[in-house]
Amino acid sequence: MQRASVLSDYKAARRGRRLRFAATLFCVLVSVALWRLAQGDWPIPPSRVFALLSPFLSEAERMTPEAIVVRSVRLPRLLAALGAGGLLSAAGVVLQGLLFNPLAEPYTLGIAAGAAFGGALGFAAHFPWVTPAAFAGALIALWSVQAIAWRSGGSRAHLVLAGIVVNAFLSAGVTFLKAIADDRLGAIVLWLMGSFSGASLGASLGVWGAAALSVLPAWAYGRQLDAVSLGEDRGSLLGVDERRLRMGLLCLVSLGTAATVGSFGIIGFVGLVVPHLLRPIIGPLHRPLLLFAFWTGGCLTALADGAAQSLGELPVGVVTALIGGPFFCWLLLRQGRGS
Amino acid sequence: MQNLMGDPIRFSQLEVSYGGAPVLSGFHGAVRSGTLTALIGPNGSGKSTLLRTFAGLLPYKGSLTLGFGSEVREVSRTTRRELGRLVGVVPQQVRMAAPFTVYDAVALGRLPCRGAALLERAALPERTGSEEDRLILDAIARADLEHLLFRDVTRLSAGEAQRVLLATVLAQDPPVLLLDEPSSALDPHQTARVFSLLRQLADSGKTVVAAVHDVNLAVAYADVLLALTRPEPNGNALSDVPPERPIGNMIEKSIKELDEEVLERIYGVPFEPYVSRKGKKAWHVRES
Repeated sequence: MQRASVLSDYKAARRGRRLRFAATLFCVLVSVALWRLAQGDWPIPPSRVFALLSPFLSEAERMTPEAIVVRSVRLPRLLAALGAGGLLSAAGVVLQGLLFNPLAEPYTLGIAAGAAFGGALGFAAHFPWVTPAAFAGALIALWSVQAIAWRSGGSRAHLVLAGIVVNAFLSAGVTFLKAIADDRLGAIVLWLMGSFSGASLGASLGVWGAAALSVLPAWAYGRQLDAVSLGEDRGSLLGVDERRLRMGLLCLVSLGTAATVGSFGIIGFVGLVVPHLLRPIIGPLHRPLLLFAFWTGGCLTALADGAAQSLGELPVGVVTALIGGPFFCWLLLRQGRGS
Repeated sequence: MQNLMGDPIRFSQLEVSYGGAPVLSGFHGAVRSGTLTALIGPNGSGKSTLLRTFAGLLPYKGSLTLGFGSEVREVSRTTRRELGRLVGVVPQQVRMAAPFTVYDAVALGRLPCRGAALLERAALPERTGSEEDRLILDAIARADLEHLLFRDVTRLSAGEAQRVLLATVLAQDPPVLLLDEPSSALDPHQTARVFSLLRQLADSGKTVVAAVHDVNLAVAYADVLLALTRPEPNGNALSDVPPERPIGNMIEKSIKELDEEVLERIYGVPFEPYVSRKGKKAWHVRES
């Protein structure tokens, strides 16, 4: 009986900690949303923003410049940043768990290099649809990595190695394209950095759809992810078909990442840093970790996008890398001291 | 060899290869229910390989079945999920990759018995959260880990981590338990504790197979000895085996039949028997 009460105390404390964190996150989300919708070159008071976002807005009012700025420019951009950041962070959680490699991130399986190559090829060849080209590049890279890994046994080590090889090969391809691109070099470099500016409502809703398709299955298989993340064969011994789970979830998550990269370019460090940031607070259980990673990653990316915009429309990938890099170092140093 | 159908583990013509070279070949045998079987043999004789094959982790040729009553199934045609309910394994590698608490790690032992994905939940007997928790806490208590309930498993000592894995299998509560050197990191007190626990499990009807290096531990607790012998230097009956990786034989003995002659056949060195004041027997390698 005493043991049981110790356990229920522990569970209650854990629930309380998660609820407090969720409340904080909600406040941050609301403030970020208000900031991103109300502030900009043309500040609009928050009360007016609320009125403009109402679905019952009259047809005449929808056509006012104010309404267009909020509804068709700022809202899609905010949604895109939230959805993409959330997807990348949740993808990072899944990859780090499945490959139990702390350096795994959404781009580990060659997605970024594939998308970059596809996009760069699109620019260099003056191809009008860069986004589909990037998405196709990401899919081809993902397919090659999975095919190489599956043929060579399908283990985690093979996946990571295949990812490294495909990444290196395609990165060289991107460099080659840059070297011969001449006049399009600037466009390629800028696109590779990633940006949410000019995000359309369609693209941002697409990212949310991709996020739902990749994060929800990962959440449903959260307990299996827990078992697999414990170590070599641990999942198999606890009744999980590791190879199928790994291939299935990695494909879904990578497809989601490919959709993000195709629409908004490569936004680095979010998928690497957010899982590491949250594990000490939330713990290693995947179901809560996925949910919190999604919302934290979304908020942080929206903040980074805001910062990028206020600094004169920098590419958001530069901001996340400039903040994320040193921040990751700080996390590593802190964890090193803790143990 | 009666009651052929009911043996929890049965194998014939069992052949397992690692990277093209056969490690086990042409083995026949069975593990009877309600016994504690000690799997002994020199380094590299294939003990871990045999246990991993029993657990369905390695591909094999020949036949390997798990049988419970009239229900007999081939391991290679059993899903991982069913294997998770039938067989529990304490692996040799005890390091954990993720910082779960002891409670959360042991709770994962209930995974094969729970609805896995949301859809499969209906197929299993319903247990409330508190019943599950009672099973988990009970497993933790039996592995003597209550004082470490909320500790991070990556920061435990090797012996404690080994007991976390044992507790996980106890929570899993399968009819067959396979343990690969379950006492490799344990002190003498914990070793005795774990082996009497294994003895109790076997007496309560579970089938337990433990790979051990300490022959005297096997003598003290096991009923049956399954020994993988050293490969014989000048090849053996299996002439088609490449000479760089000859394969030994398997010897099955009741524990009472163990003597220095059998031990010498297994390990290839002479053994000296010792008898304690209370008449208990033990063996050590004879010093030359």
